[in-house]
Amino acid sequence: MLREWKTEWMKVRRRRIALVPAAFLLFSFLWISWAIRSARMESGEENWKWLLMCLGLINTLLMPTMIAMIASRLCDVELKGNTLKLLCTMEQKGRLFDMKLLTGAVYVGGYVAAELVMMLVFARLHGFAGGVTLRHLMCFLLQSGFVSLGVLLVQMLLSLFSANQILPLAVGLAGSFLGLFSWFLSSPLWRPVVWAYYNLLGYIGQNWDESTRIVSYYEVPMDWSAVITLVVALPLGYILGRQLFIRRTPGCG
Amino acid sequence: MDYMVETKGLTKQYGGKEVVRDVDLKVPRAHVYGFMGPNGAGKSTTLKMLLGLIQISGGQVTIGGEPVNRKNRIAILKETGSLIESPSYYGHLTGRENLEIVQTLKKVPKQEITQVLKLVRMEEQQNKKVREYSLGMKQRLGLAEALLGRPELLILDEPTNGLDPAGIQEIRELIRELPGRMGMTVLVSSHLLGEMDQMADYVGIINHGHLIFQDKLEALHEHSRGSLRLCVMNQTAALEILKREGISCNREEGALELPRLADDATARLIGKLWEGGAGVYRAEEKQKSLEEIFLSLTGRRGSL
Repeated sequence: MLREWKTEWMKVRRRRIALVPAAFLLFSFLWISWAIRSARMESGEENWKWLLMCLGLINTLLMPTMIAMIASRLCDVELKGNTLKLLCTMEQKGRLFDMKLLTGAVYVGGYVAAELVMMLVFARLHGFAGGVTLRHLMCFLLQSGFVSLGVLLVQMLLSLFSANQILPLAVGLAGSFLGLFSWFLSSPLWRPVVWAYYNLLGYIGQNWDESTRIVSYYEVPMDWSAVITLVVALPLGYILGRQLFIRRTPGCG
Repeated sequence: MDYMVETKGLTKQYGGKEVVRDVDLKVPRAHVYGFMGPNGAGKSTTLKMLLGLIQISGGQVTIGGEPVNRKNRIAILKETGSLIESPSYYGHLTGRENLEIVQTLKKVPKQEITQVLKLVRMEEQQNKKVREYSLGMKQRLGLAEALLGRPELLILDEPTNGLDPAGIQEIRELIRELPGRMGMTVLVSSHLLGEMDQMADYVGIINHGHLIFQDKLEALHEHSRGSLRLCVMNQTAALEILKREGISCNREEGALELPRLADDATARLIGKLWEGGAGVYRAEEKQKSLEEIFLSLTGRRGSL
């Protein structure tokens, strides 16, 4: 298994895939830096809530596009050079799928970890009182990490089956906007939409007082039905996607 | 006989239509087996089934004496090199880096990369990105990938496609040498019959999904049943004598084409023609070309 894992990294040599999350991270940093200047918070705790909510919203908009780009760059190397028929004589197809997904997950995981570091940097730079709570941390990982894994799975499948990578990239872009709309248009119809889970698993809410023009932030109780849906859908989607890949690409393994 | 590849009743259906039907391939170990057939005859489909790249609708594949199944497929195929249809490559990587990926997956020593690069004469281009290669270079890279790990069996689908004449000759010579030099069994497909004449020890001919011939190359030539071509000064006299002797003939470009006769019967006939004033000035045995043999076996005319 380590050999197959190693070859995935050999394949992406000179693809500069890490530049994609790095660019998105820089964009997020600049966005938050700009937004924090106009944000007025009443307390240190409010600062953290603002930052976490702000990052959740930014991730909803940016992560689907970023993940689509990463998945596309990981998968099109196989399609351009017609390599699947060669690989399938040396490697089980299911394992190839696993390794591809795992490689994508490393980039996504790296991005989420870098965001955590970025949050701490902001907290230090702007003198946020206290630290991030364990609940916030877990919710952040669930929202940004696990939802992104679901998005990655969808994008990976689309990229593996699309000779032209425009389609998966367009879906990624559309996913960004769908996710964003879900923040403002509440409806049960968002439940089957994977990109909407960035919002459904949101854990910070905001109230805007029109008279004082002050925004206050509050804890949103966990939407357990959304969590359960994600926990069930993620492994199920993985199993189905893996089977689909095994059946639809050359080779019987 | 020891067969490296053996199939029994190998069949492939697409939407109820059989594109390969009951093919019983027998590829002897450490020989070059030429798999011939016109375009669309089922060559690539058969080779893909051997490699497990498409599912078999019926029949059994045995490689190296072991029946291939889902569990042992990868283990068996790791001992097999293949180049199917077009070469597989990562364009953004160099030739060497491409080979390193295959070397890692096949678990073979790194120094073999240098050996195969030398074998396909690609040492100078090894550090160039593959997207900058010509089709011929990519084909060589595909061959180098197939040769990594010194596989016991090499399955090559039209390996000389896209190569220049010098490259074609080099690859043919390389394939020809592999059984002797490395003990490899080479199963190579082509629709170029002359190519098989230069490379193969054994041949199989497939047409419309049926294996219509399988034997040694010499046996295929034997199958040609050559004719006797006589050039005579006086055709009228010659025809009279032939009629008297009960030998049928065809007139062809000023010569007479007779069925192949035994040596003594040929000598006797030439004597009689000489005595009868036909004036034989040339007698030659005419072998059917491989193309003609193929066409007589398949009953198919036109482009191969």
